[in-house]
Amino acid sequence: MKKCEITLTVNGEQLTTMVAANQTLLEVLRENLGMTETKYGCGTGECGACTVLLDGTKPILSCLTLAAAMDGRHITTAAGLARDGQLHPVQQAFVDESGIQCGFCTPGMVMKTVGILARTPNPSDEEIRHGLEGNICRCTGYAKIVSSVKRAAELMADQSAAE
Amino acid sequence: MSSRVLPDFELLMPKDLGEGLQLLSRHGSDVAIMAGGTDVLVMMKANYRSPYVMSLAGIGGLDHLDWAPETGLRVGALTTVDQIEQSGAVKQHYRALWQAATLFATPQIRNSATVIGNLLRASPAGDCSCAVLALGGTVVLESVDGRREVAIDDFWLDYNLTARRPDEIAVELRLPPPGKGTGSAFRRLTRTHEDLAKLNASARLDVDGKICRTARLAMGCVGPTTQRLPKCEAILVGKAIDEALLKTLDDVIQSEIAPIDDKRSTAEYRRAVAGVLLRRTISQALAD
Repeated sequence: MKKCEITLTVNGEQLTTMVAANQTLLEVLRENLGMTETKYGCGTGECGACTVLLDGTKPILSCLTLAAAMDGRHITTAAGLARDGQLHPVQQAFVDESGIQCGFCTPGMVMKTVGILARTPNPSDEEIRHGLEGNICRCTGYAKIVSSVKRAAELMADQSAAE
Repeated sequence: MSSRVLPDFELLMPKDLGEGLQLLSRHGSDVAIMAGGTDVLVMMKANYRSPYVMSLAGIGGLDHLDWAPETGLRVGALTTVDQIEQSGAVKQHYRALWQAATLFATPQIRNSATVIGNLLRASPAGDCSCAVLALGGTVVLESVDGRREVAIDDFWLDYNLTARRPDEIAVELRLPPPGKGTGSAFRRLTRTHEDLAKLNASARLDVDGKICRTARLAMGCVGPTTQRLPKCEAILVGKAIDEALLKTLDDVIQSEIAPIDDKRSTAEYRRAVAGVLLRRTISQALAD
């Protein structure tokens, strides 16, 4: 099959790779670039495990995105959130509130949370639950994930007050 | 069938609309056109096959969402459901479409999926499709031979079949401006919030004083396409809509729908709740 060269900016770094027409963004991240923090769950857009951010704030499903159509775009994965060895407030909040059990949904949940808080910095419980739709967790029952998102909002507010 | 791997296809990435139309005039019926990809790629991971996939992503100027009081709303081929949800103009003037957009699938899907893609999927469960049918309007189809407009009432021919010819791109959806007394609403029933609808309904009513002047009622998941309910519409027109009048729709709607049993609901259940959903949708449109 015909391949084409694309350049992606992933977590701030420009990366060039050859992709086949039928490769999804998820496959390119995991297989071509070795970035396995983004997970394959269902492959059909139901579970949200493969969620990455487009242009810094927009959650999209990397399993339903053709890599070849993403040439030149900016992608953020869970590994791109930490700064200088410090966890991102959203990651810290998931640790603090025990929003993680088996951990498989966590990268998607964390990316989704960044997306929710970018649009709604101080979300209500209802806004959090509506925002988390499309990300499935089979362990936690969601209560601790919802409190993690709330905690993340507080941490980010503290952080921006300190800056 | 693996949901992991997409089948082989040749990817067409036109840089402008003219190039895209040229490609379609050559390869036409062998091309699956992709905007957000949330339907096409899921179908290809199941059993759908197409020698060519044409991505519209490289074509500029197709993601517009323009509102003007004289001309109404213009929605581009790459305009996402999220753009609809975030638009104050849509929320104010096309409440049914805005409500459908807020309930549509999940945030990730809304960030990629397009309104026009939802129309082109021609599924009777499409939420934006149901709202668009109630609101009325036209789909602008373009080929190398020029442009034509197809009314939304004539757009869906059958399940998964539209009036679009294989050499055409649906470039724009146009919704007429609302009148002074126009209100609209969309509602749906699902098992969980992010499911496909088991039943959806939308209404647009033009009310003058208390009298309903025109009514457009649409329902999905009750036939091969999203459909109008002309008998129910006729009952409302020329009358003041009250609870007693709405109650009469419960019987009338039974002769207008033909639901089936599937994994999301039984036909019996859909028949039992169709009138209730329609009444609630109409009441919501009256309150808009």
